[in-house]
Amino acid sequence: MKYKVREDGNVTIIDLSGKLMGGYDADVFRDLVHELIEKGRKKIVVNLAGIKWINSTGVGILITGYTTLRKNKGDLKLLNVSKKIESILYVTKLNLIFECFDDEHEATGSYTRG
Amino acid sequence: MAEETFVLEFPSSYKWLNMIDLMCTEITAGMDFGRNALNEISISVIEACTNALEHGNKCCPDRSVMVVFRRLEDRIVIEVTDCGEGFDFADYLQHIPDPSDIHKKRGRGIFIMKAMMDTLKYEKVEKGGMKVILKKMTDRGGEEGDE
Repeated sequence: MKYKVREDGNVTIIDLSGKLMGGYDADVFRDLVHELIEKGRKKIVVNLAGIKWINSTGVGILITGYTTLRKNKGDLKLLNVSKKIESILYVTKLNLIFECFDDEHEATGSYTRG
Repeated sequence: MAEETFVLEFPSSYKWLNMIDLMCTEITAGMDFGRNALNEISISVIEACTNALEHGNKCCPDRSVMVVFRRLEDRIVIEVTDCGEGFDFADYLQHIPDPSDIHKKRGRGIFIMKAMMDTLKYEKVEKGGMKVILKKMTDRGGEEGDE
């Protein structure tokens, strides 16, 4: 997994790419979320457009990020969820937990509306 | 179509999972599966291999995972075998965790495979290890529930 971090106002966008399948990825993403929380950046949009492969462990990584941010009065929303990821979220009913968007402006704007 | 069998053995590392996915895509290409079904097969194979290398082989690179694809006229059958100690699948099914529980980091793989495939079976292998058998009927293959 690779990532890039961008900012749009008070919203932080994490562009993920490659494989999200556990192992080292879990540590990298957890550390990134903690680093952002320490900087006061708690409104996160994770852009999954570049993710080619994901499994349930990868989804678990996103959930850990979500719960960490929620405990710190933040939030994590998903952008550009592929059909495969959507199927995993749907089957596990995690689609009811994650807010998902197809449009970046809508995703970042949802924080100001919320 | 006569049965065609494809066998692949790989060390316990996440880096090989994309190769398994590509192989799965090639093998199922041309079969009577819709796009959603193809995604479900791909996701399930990745889940089975992830469980094998994480829970079965404890990510030990000296232990391998064997994947067998059997392509038939009306179905695809995939067997994934690890070198672990195995577990009681019937007992697990009695206590299957809620996949929507956000406090659980793991434990969704079996639930996902069960939901996406027509048949999901686990068997202990005599010489050691656990084999998961996944089956999905093609659109022409009719309905077939869990065995």
